[in-house]
Amino acid sequence: MDLVSGADILARRILVIDDEEANVLLLRSVLEREGYRDIHALTDPRRALDTFVDLKPDLVLLDLMMPEVDGFQLLEAFARHSRADDFRPVLVLTADTAVEARRRALSLGAKDFVTKPFDVVEVALRIANLLETRILYERLRQRRCADG
Amino acid sequence: MPAPFRLPTRLWTDRPLTFKGVVVVAVPLLVLLAALVSLYGASTAEVQAEDDVRRAFAIQRDTHRVHALLAEAAAGVRGYALTREEQFLDRYRQAEAELPATMARLDGAIRDPQVRARFERLRGLTARKQEGLRQIAALAERSPDTAELRRALRANTQVLDAMRAEIDALQQRESVLLAERTARVEDVRGRFLVVTAISAVLGLLGSLAAVYLFSTGIVRRVRVLEHNATRLARGEALGEQPAESDEIGRLAQRLARASALLRAREHALRESEERFRLVVDQVRDYGIFALDADGLVVSWNQGAERIKGWRAGEILGQHFSRFYPPETRAHRPAEMLAQARRHGTAEDEGWRVRRDGSRFWANVVITALRDEHGALRGFAKVTRDISERHRAEETLRLAREEAVAASDAKSVFLSRTSHELRTPLSAILGFGQLLELDADDLPERHRAAVTHIMAAARHLLALIDDLLDISAIEAGGAELRAEALDLEAVCRQAASLAAPIVAGAGLRLTVDPPRRPLRVVADRRRVVQVILNLLANAAKYHGNGTTVTLTARQEGASACIIVEDDGVGIDPAHAPRLFTAFDRLGQERRSNVEGTGLGLALSRSMVQSMGGAMAHERPDRGARFWFTLPLAPPDIPAPRRSEETEV
Repeated sequence: MDLVSGADILARRILVIDDEEANVLLLRSVLEREGYRDIHALTDPRRALDTFVDLKPDLVLLDLMMPEVDGFQLLEAFARHSRADDFRPVLVLTADTAVEARRRALSLGAKDFVTKPFDVVEVALRIANLLETRILYERLRQRRCADG
Repeated sequence: MPAPFRLPTRLWTDRPLTFKGVVVVAVPLLVLLAALVSLYGASTAEVQAEDDVRRAFAIQRDTHRVHALLAEAAAGVRGYALTREEQFLDRYRQAEAELPATMARLDGAIRDPQVRARFERLRGLTARKQEGLRQIAALAERSPDTAELRRALRANTQVLDAMRAEIDALQQRESVLLAERTARVEDVRGRFLVVTAISAVLGLLGSLAAVYLFSTGIVRRVRVLEHNATRLARGEALGEQPAESDEIGRLAQRLARASALLRAREHALRESEERFRLVVDQVRDYGIFALDADGLVVSWNQGAERIKGWRAGEILGQHFSRFYPPETRAHRPAEMLAQARRHGTAEDEGWRVRRDGSRFWANVVITALRDEHGALRGFAKVTRDISERHRAEETLRLAREEAVAASDAKSVFLSRTSHELRTPLSAILGFGQLLELDADDLPERHRAAVTHIMAAARHLLALIDDLLDISAIEAGGAELRAEALDLEAVCRQAASLAAPIVAGAGLRLTVDPPRRPLRVVADRRRVVQVILNLLANAAKYHGNGTTVTLTARQEGASACIIVEDDGVGIDPAHAPRLFTAFDRLGQERRSNVEGTGLGLALSRSMVQSMGGAMAHERPDRGARFWFTLPLAPPDIPAPRRSEETEV
């Protein structure tokens, strides 16, 4: 028996940030195919922080190489605007295969890292896992508040 | 000094100072005493001479008196005889009474024998005269017979005449004597004057001699001694000092000994200093010079002159800050001295200026010089011109920076290229995969199209990956983790990974390990990748072969890894293009064999990046590929077990 129901996961809000329209479309297609309904997407990274703060997404799918503001800067900005006890996962999707990019992204707070081109099934599973973790984390916190 | 004088002089100078003092004081005293004695003798003689003169005068006076008294008596008696008056007899009696005393005085005073003889005759005459006078007086009283009286008177007068003659003779003699005595007094007085003058001269000469002895002897020698003592204090050579054995002589000898000792010591010290100075001075590659406590240059060697251009005469006494360029002159010299004072030494590298204003890059060490009490005496400064090294380092640094920049640029280029190629491919593969997932919803012909799209896209992705790999290796940007590896272990690992592919191609895989353990320096992952690539190629292109053999053995200073098969082999016409990228040697037309055409090119790049070589040989049957890897030196330890089993 799953701890978290599929419906609960699919109801979560996901923010896609990628300057390539095609990639945004691909991810939206993958997510919609999985059954997610609350999907938001951005191709202009300059609006990413405002949108992140306004929408409070449960998961962010983030590209690293973007003009004007890159994914690393956004990771730092998100970390500054998140509460320390809030688990708001970021999944980095990038065409950069260099190991340095992977290490840097993960050290800046990214919870997972996928190299493009990616396997759509694998990405869908990773998204579901991250959301499940977030939901469990939320429950734990709520219980602690109730107990406290 | 002439020889005859040397001995007495030596005898004198060798006497102790006390003796000399006594002699110097006694000589004038003795001269003075002799003068006094002679003075006394002279004055006694004079007194006696004067006494004689006085007596001569007294004798003459008394002789006249005797004559006068007798003449008086005679006159009285004659008067009485003529007149018979008693009063004439008074003068006779008075003379008669006075005469004996005068005669006695004369008797006592006369010394001269001639005078004495005449005096005795005079005495006889005087007695006869008196006797005659007494007879005349008696005659005159008794009878007036004048004839007898006249006769008596005549006789008496004759006696007086004889007496007068005698008295004259006596007086004459006494006058001679007086003249003699007066002459003698004059003589004695003259002699006395001479003696006095001689005594005065002798006394003066004695004093002068004493002074001379003192000044020319002792004082002169003491002065020489003092002069030598001054020279000794200045460290100069002593003047000549005769070997004399009195106190001054001994002092002089000790002074000479001390001087000799000092000079010997000084000589040794100077010799050592000289040697040291020569060494320092002859050093040409290092500028070695000394500063005083204020930083003024006090010594200068050839090296300093060569490096900095100043001659010693031009720079001595100048402050060392003039060696610094204007931008550091105000603060750096003071900082260096302060640091040297605090820590003993200060080292610095930087620009310095030469006399002509040109700059050089210097290595400078300043050492504080302290005496045994810890007081700062100055600084030693050693300067080395390392401009050449600095230039070489700068060139190297620039080259390195350029290389790093080029490498960075290439990395950025690769990264960007990777991104640019992969991003569209990502969309293609992603949507293609979605279509594949929903293939059931697609018509048959679309399903086939999706399959083709996906195959092409995956091939494209493999191509891109290989291409970027080669570029990364050739740019030197890809990480190379060289370590000492056991070659057999690496071969077995690659063989086990390749086993399914080889088996799938219907071939048998044989591993022929080295006879004894071989260790190579290489990146394990890449070696495995190269062997895997070669085995996979054999599996793909063997044609009708049956066996693939993987052999590892030592060849000289290298290890050699050989992969060979017994298939159709490679057309000799294709051999030169084997390692050319994208050249699949016509295999692209065989639809059942996949490949990018980059495998061998990538493998050779990897082997070369590890310091090895790769080539193809054409044996009698089949194909043979081999590559080499450098052997590990014996002292590099083998990696731990856990790492060997990794991958």
